[in-house]
Amino acid sequence: MLSILASDFIKIRRKLIWFLIFLGPFGVVALQAVNFGLRYDYLTKVHEKDLWAGLIGEAGYLAIPALMLGLTLIASMISNIEHQTNAWKQLLALPVSKLRVFTGKFLLTALLLFVSSTFLLLGIIVLGFFLKFGADVPLLALLKMAYFPYLAAMPFIALQIWLSITMKNQAIPLVIGIVGTILSLMSFRFPDWMPWKWPSLTNGWNDPLYSVTFGLVCGLAIYLIGLLDFARKDVK
Amino acid sequence: MNELIIETNQLTKKFSKRYAVENIDLKIKKGEIYGFLGPNGAGKTTTIRMLLGLAKPTKGSIHIFGKDMKREKLNVLKRVGSLVEYPSYYGHLNAYENLDALRILLDAPKSRINEVLSIVRLSNEAKRPVKGFSLGMKQRLGIAAALLGNPELLILDEPTNGLDPSGILEIRELIKSMPKEHGITILVSSHLLSEMDQMATQVGIISKGKMIFQDSIEALRQRAQSKIAIKVDQTEQAWRMLLSKGRQAEMDNNQIYLPHTSDEEISTVIGDLVHDHFSVYRVQEEKKSLEDIFLELTGGEGSL
Repeated sequence: MLSILASDFIKIRRKLIWFLIFLGPFGVVALQAVNFGLRYDYLTKVHEKDLWAGLIGEAGYLAIPALMLGLTLIASMISNIEHQTNAWKQLLALPVSKLRVFTGKFLLTALLLFVSSTFLLLGIIVLGFFLKFGADVPLLALLKMAYFPYLAAMPFIALQIWLSITMKNQAIPLVIGIVGTILSLMSFRFPDWMPWKWPSLTNGWNDPLYSVTFGLVCGLAIYLIGLLDFARKDVK
Repeated sequence: MNELIIETNQLTKKFSKRYAVENIDLKIKKGEIYGFLGPNGAGKTTTIRMLLGLAKPTKGSIHIFGKDMKREKLNVLKRVGSLVEYPSYYGHLNAYENLDALRILLDAPKSRINEVLSIVRLSNEAKRPVKGFSLGMKQRLGIAAALLGNPELLILDEPTNGLDPSGILEIRELIKSMPKEHGITILVSSHLLSEMDQMATQVGIISKGKMIFQDSIEALRQRAQSKIAIKVDQTEQAWRMLLSKGRQAEMDNNQIYLPHTSDEEISTVIGDLVHDHFSVYRVQEEKKSLEDIFLELTGGEGSL
């Protein structure tokens, strides 16, 4: 499994994938910097009680569409590396199982987004210090803001990887991913069972862990379905 | 040397209702260069995809190195190098990185990359992005990739497709040198018989999904025996005269054909004709080329 990841890491060189991984969280932090920079007095008054929580809340809200769009693009770019010259036939004629190839792409996407989430975490801490919100950093809340939506978005990582790998035409997975991003923006109106609501971590129980658990279980299920579909199909 | 490296039994692939490959029994012995021939769309690539486990057979079995592909696919693939159709590569990476990404999966040592690059003479281009390569260089890179894992069996699908004459020559020499230098068995497909004529030791000809000929290249050449054509003024009378003398003459196209015989024999025939006052216009040897046989076998739909 490590070898397939090592191979995939070579393949994503010079493809702007790493740039995108950095750009997503940087964009969120930069927008919050502008947001707080322009409305400093107003926002610090609104969040007077807990300045850090205010920043985390604002950033967390913006991070969801960035995450949804990011995972769509990353999954498509990673798959497209193989689609471009139909390298699937070369890759799968090597002594590697389809299970490992599919799992490798899934893990790579998940890993890259984890890195992205970590950048967001660090960026928000830096911004908080810049805005002089004090040294009393609420680490737990920050960790939740950075990683919970990521975990709750697992079904989408699995879905996008499945679609991007099995379809040569990347327009379809991209459209589905972008529609998903838009749906996630208006998800507050959705019932709790809808996956697009999970990254927002809001639910009837008022406990983000429910959203995370749903995400992980559903993500695993979609990964398995995608894997079976990929293994069943002949390589083009 | 009678060990079978590849053996398929009733191998069949059906796409919806059309048979792409039907009941193919491929038999390839160790150390052979097996030329897999057929017109475009005959089922060569489909067969090769099944051999490599890229496509699942509808029916039939494949044994490579005596192992069942269904059960021991990965163990078999460890010892096989392949190049299927047009080359696959990662255009944004350089040649070295391309091979490195594959090498890791083969668990081959890093030094092997430079070895295979020098075999296909791409050492000087190792650090250039592959998207700027010519087709011939990409094809050579594909062959380098196929050689990475030190394979015992090399499966090359149309390796000279789209190359210029010097590129074709180069790849051909490369392929010919493999069994001698490394004891590799090679399956190479092509729609050009002339190409196979110059490197294959065994040939299999496939047409419309069916195997129509499988034997040594010599056996195929045997079919290409020449005939002697004689043109005379009164063909019919001359032909009857020759028949009455017990010659195996045939008349066709207003010419007399004799099976390939010795020089003395021909001179007596000519002598007889002249003696009976026939005017002999032309005596020529007519060779059936391998292409003709190929066309004959494939029912005239072969591409040259």
